[in-house]
Formats: sequence, structure tokens, C-alpha cells
Amino acid sequence: MKRTLALLVLGFSLALAQTRGGELRVAILAEPPVLDPTASTSQEIPRMLYDNVLQGLVRFNEKGEIVPALAERWQGSPTSLTWTFYLRKGVRFHNGSPFTAEDVVFKFTRARDPKSGHTHPEYYQDIQSVEALDPYTVVFRLRQPNQDFLFNLARPDSVIGPKGRVEEQKTNPIGTGPFRFVAWERGVGVRLERFDGYYEPGLPYLDRVFFRFLPDQNAQLAALRAGDIQVIGLGVSPENALVLQRDPAFKVVTGFTTTEITVGMNNSRPPFNDPRVRRAMQYAVDKKALVEGVMLGFGTPIGSHRSPGERCYEDLSGLYPYDPARARALLQEAGYGPNNPLRFTFTLAAPYPYERRLGEAIAAQLSQIGVQARLEVVEWATWLSRVFRGADYQMTIIGHSEPHDIGIYANPNYYFRYDSPRFRELYTQYLRTPDPNRACEVMKAMQRLLAQDAVNLWVMNAPYIAAMRREVMGWWQNQPTPSLNVTRVYLAR
Amino acid sequence: MQGFLLRRLLLALVTLWLAASLVFAFLLLLPGDPVQAILGLEASPEARAALERTLGLDRPPLRRYLDWLGGLARLDLGESIRYGKPVAELLRERLPLSLALVFLGLLGALALALPGALLAVRFSPLDLALSGLVAFLQSLPTFFLGVILLYLFAVHLPLLPASGFPGWASPEEALRHLLLPALTLALSRAAILFRMARASLLEVLSQDYIRTARAKGVPEALVLLKHALKPASLPLVTLLGLEGGFLLTGAVVVEAVFALPGLGSLALTALEARDYPLLQGLVLAMAGLIVLFNLLVDLLYGLLDPRVEYA
Repeated sequence: MKRTLALLVLGFSLALAQTRGGELRVAILAEPPVLDPTASTSQEIPRMLYDNVLQGLVRFNEKGEIVPALAERWQGSPTSLTWTFYLRKGVRFHNGSPFTAEDVVFKFTRARDPKSGHTHPEYYQDIQSVEALDPYTVVFRLRQPNQDFLFNLARPDSVIGPKGRVEEQKTNPIGTGPFRFVAWERGVGVRLERFDGYYEPGLPYLDRVFFRFLPDQNAQLAALRAGDIQVIGLGVSPENALVLQRDPAFKVVTGFTTTEITVGMNNSRPPFNDPRVRRAMQYAVDKKALVEGVMLGFGTPIGSHRSPGERCYEDLSGLYPYDPARARALLQEAGYGPNNPLRFTFTLAAPYPYERRLGEAIAAQLSQIGVQARLEVVEWATWLSRVFRGADYQMTIIGHSEPHDIGIYANPNYYFRYDSPRFRELYTQYLRTPDPNRACEVMKAMQRLLAQDAVNLWVMNAPYIAAMRREVMGWWQNQPTPSLNVTRVYLAR
Repeated sequence: MQGFLLRRLLLALVTLWLAASLVFAFLLLLPGDPVQAILGLEASPEARAALERTLGLDRPPLRRYLDWLGGLARLDLGESIRYGKPVAELLRERLPLSLALVFLGLLGALALALPGALLAVRFSPLDLALSGLVAFLQSLPTFFLGVILLYLFAVHLPLLPASGFPGWASPEEALRHLLLPALTLALSRAAILFRMARASLLEVLSQDYIRTARAKGVPEALVLLKHALKPASLPLVTLLGLEGGFLLTGAVVVEAVFALPGLGSLALTALEARDYPLLQGLVLAMAGLIVLFNLLVDLLYGLLDPRVEYA
């Protein structure tokens, strides 16, 4: 009853609401080093700019599906080797120049050149040629079928700027999106303004958007309550979410992300080069208790390196039920016991509060079966160079936020040091299978193989928690891409 | 006096060189590198190599150090790796805010501590209360104090903005944004100033000439303000010089809590990004400020006490 009433009131206020204009101030946690997603993989760049300012041929929608953006439609040949994209006509960049096939050709010629400094040339390796048939038709020819081709074109790395502009994009990004970039105030924030020449009529609703860098969660909460900002874009802590949920002036939006919070184990080093030890870890950790106790109910347990919101997800969270006795038995088999307890260093990255808290709780759960995990907290730059690049660690925990990133397990030099010919074979098979349904089966087999090998301990899908003032409407519920899309956001008055 | 100034100046230069060189050395020892920080997690080795070349990080450390010194001789602080802008320009953008913050903080601390100390030595019941309050304030961590003030003045009584800085275009707005952070600094630093002022006032008040003044029938308030305050403020001035340095470091925390784009937050960013040139420039600037504070204090000392000689 209460709900119907609320809906009625909501409907009524929507009818009266003024939906155009106004400024939206959004807090994000960090300042990126540059503003071009093709120059740095910092997630803060797409957070502010993907689809708001910079667009590609295709894009992800709220559900994570691939939908048209600068390409009106596209067609793959039956062999999946030739892809024809028909571009939207009459599109202009924010600097006034028209968007044509030339810009697309320039972009992808640069992207697949490893010497160009483009972030991920490997995404485009299978592209043999990019050609403009006419100003509004582009043909991509592939060397071999690539199941992820369209997905890679929707990534933030694939956004398209005006032909010939490379260096300037880093500090003064020009795109085709609903908002144009106005200013980057160093240390303060990034200002966007409504782009009047946007091709979708009537969009966007807001006049201005201000992304403010607020690194401290307490400062974010205070700024929201004081009205300095209207939205905390992501990373609201579970406690703060519960507090704000009770306050009628605010609302909390929760949904899924593509972040797998992963306890990484160094598969090439003792003690975790022994699969029995890695399996023991799976039985010794109670994921449900972690969701309830540490995350106050936010988050979904997972059992392999894929998020429930992603395509071809296989739920493996029940593969290793919580069973301390079985964990102990496995450890005993591997040669550890009360007289010779398993000891290792568990490295936590300082700037990630979720992961740190989960790491501490996991260490506590492990101590229940006599495992001694020594916690070590390191700064982010240290984590990157020692753990991520050097694989100089035993156990660590971090959120892998990139969507659809299971391919990292096909790289034996990745910091997990998981070296499995079988997995690499499956991954290649997945990539080369043109039929999406059959590729999906292979994707599921990949997830199962990872879980059986107990490469890592996948704890949970990190919850997406955003908080905002009541009047902010149209905010995305989920975070299938690292983007805070404000195209259809408006302020009800 | 001139010889004194010259010697101090030379000493200052050596101090600055040492500070910046130490930072250079420490950064080499720290794990992590700017290229990774810029490119992010999954950069290809080719992209890394290309960026390293552009940034000049492929050259040996000694060479980089000498280049940097050479630039310094030409008053060129180099270019920030993360922001791709001249370090001097970044410093110029941020310096006014930090200076204003430190100045307001000092002023506020003095404005709280001096009258407090005068009241405390005049009325003994107040003494206990003020000393207790001050001890309490001193024991609070600065960031915690900042968050409390933030909630009090920006959220519950929305009088002042909670955070951020609008720039200097409208000085009034700028001041409004600086008030809360300055108050945080002032409250956290007032404690030590209060204790110092109180102790030195008490000491001065036990001197013979004060007794003479009182015996001559000078009103107590005048005794305090005219005869006791000036000599009692000498140790205070020394302390202020030191506090200038503390305030700069305290400002780092306060700038983080209130999201102010000052030198402190810039230093945090520079450290996280392993932005060597920027961090060196910042250390140089901060060390320069501290040296300057101390020099001013020395000079002020002579003005307040003619017996001090510059040698």
C-alpha cells in the first residue's frame, strides 16, 4: 500500500517536474592523470567521459548490452571476417568539424599500431585493415574471427576523436557526446557543458555537469549532506549507504558491477603452487558471512572470474561450500598441521577500503583453521610494482573492475602466474568461435576450469552503491561499464 | 646585519639543495614508477617503453639528477610527469591557497591563544578550564577535528561550504571556503601557543619590574598588556616560526579533509603518481617557506628585543 502511494506521488511529481536544465555536481574518488582513455587505463577517465563526452562506434547500455552509438547499424559477414559499419549522418564533433569515416580509419589505424602509445593495441590485433568505402561506410577486415571484436569496439579505449588529434586529446578531449568538455581544474574537478549540436534530439537534459575529485569518503558524505554535491557517483561505504537510506532527503542506488573482488594467489610460489593448498583456501572462507558481516549485506558471492551481470555467467559460488574440516584435511595432505602451520604474507593495497576490510576478515577466518596469514598493507604504487608487475607476493586481494576480463588467465605472466595450456586452448577456441551461443558454452567451460584449478579465491561481485539527493532522476542502477552516464539524468523540481 | 643576512641566505640555499636531493634519492628507493601510474594496470610493454622515453626516465638516475640541478640553476623546475605542465606553473596555481590557509591558521591560532592566555593568568578559575580545553584540543587528530567542524558548520548549521575551492575570482567566496579549514588548523595549533604564552606570561609576571609597576599603582590590565605582553611574546615568536612549518604539514591533512587544491593535496598526488619533478619542486617550495619563516622570526626577534644581536 505504502509502495503504491509512493509510486502515485512519484508519478504525480514526475508529471509536474521540470526536467531540463540545471547543474549536477558529482563526487568521484580520484583525479586521473590525463583525460584520454586511449592514453591511460585509469578508470576515472571513462567514469567521467565515456559516452558523456567521448563515443565510439558502439557503446554499452545500462544492461551492459552493445548498442549503436556513432554507427547506426553494422553487419558481419557469415565468416565473421568482414564487418561493415554504417555511420550516423550529420554528426559533429564539439569543435564543429563533421564526423566521417576518415576519423574512424585514423582512430583504428593508430589503435592497432603498438608503437603509437595507444593503451591496448592487443584489442585490435586481429584487425587486418580499416577502410572507408564512402564518408559514411567503414569496413573492417579481420585476420581471423574474434568473438570479442564488437565488445572491444564498445570499450572506452575505442572512443573516436577528430582525425589527427592525439596529444591535445589528453588535456582537452573533443568528442561527439551529449556534453562537451569545458575545463579541467587541476586538483578540483572536471566541468562539462551541454552540447547543443548533439545528434539525439532533446538530449541531454542537464545544462552542466561538474565531476568533483573528493578522495575522502567522509568528505564526500559531508559534501553531499551540505549540498555541495548532489551525487556520490560510486564507492559509498555500506555503513554510509544504510545511514543515507533512512534519510528522506537522499536515496541510495544499488546494483551490479563488473568487479570481481579476488584473493589473488601466486600459483608459481610456495605455498600456493600446491593446488591442495589453494583448494583448502576455498573451503576455509565463508563468503556469505563476509557479505553479511563485512559488507552489511551488499555484494554477491561468486565462484570464478566473472560477474553475475555479464553474459555467459556460470554460477560457481557453491562449488566449494564453507567446510573448515575439509580445508584442514586438505592442508594436512599438503603437509601442514598444528605442528607445522601454514604461514604466508597477505598483501593488502592501502587505498581500497572494501578489499582491505575483506582481507582482514578473511585472515581472521583462516586463523580458525590454524592458518597464519601475516597482513601487510602497502601503498598503491608499491602494490603495482611489486605485486602486479613483479609477482613478488604470496597472497593479495584486489577488485578486478574491467568488464569481461577473463582473458588475463590466458597470460602466464599475469601476476597470478597461472600457467594452463588447457585454459589457453579454451580461450583461443572461445575467441575463434563465430557463433555466440557456442562461444558462450566455451566461456562457461573456462569459468569452470578456473574454479576447479582454484587459481584464486573469488570472493564476491562488488556492489555498485551510489548515493544522491532525492531530486536526482535517471541515474544508472548498475555499472556494467566504468562510466557514470549522465545523458538522461535530470533534476526534478 | 648584512653579513648575517648573507650567511643565512647561503645556509638557506644549502638547506634547500639538501632537502631536494634527499627527496630525489628517496624516490629512487621507493617502489613504483610514474609510467605505471599514468598508463594504468594493463599497459603493453611497448607503450611503457614509449612513455619512458618521452619522459626521459630511460636515462640513468645520476644523469637525471644533474639535469635537474642544471635546470634549477636556470630557475627551471622542470615539467610535471603526471600533469604535463611546468612545475613552476603548478606551484604558482596552488601556492596562494596554501599560504592563505597557513596565514589564516596562524592568525586564528594567535587570536585564540593570546587572549586566552591573558585571561588565564588573570583569573585562576578560568585557567584550569582553559588549560583543560586546550589539552583536549591538542589531543584530537587534525582530520578528526576537521570532520567535526565540517559537520557542525556545514551540515547541521549550514553556514559555510563543506569543501572545495572556487578560485580567487571572488575573494569573498574564497574566504568563505577557507574559514572552516583555517579554523581547524587554528584550533589544533592554538593549544601549544596558549601553553607557551601562559607559561611565559607567568614567568614575566614574577619579575621585579612587574612588582614595581604594580606597586606604583598601574592597573592590572595595563600591567599585563603594556609591561608583560611584549617580553612574554619573545618565546612565542620563536614558536611561531616553528609553527609555520607545522602548519604547512598540518595543511596537508586539512586540505585532504576539505578537498582544497593546495600544495598539500598536490604533494599527495605527486607522491602517489611518483611524479619526481613535481615532488622535488614541492619539497623545494615547502623547505623554502620554512626557511623563510625562520628568517622572519630571527629578524622579528631583534625588533622585539633590542638586546639580540645578529652575529
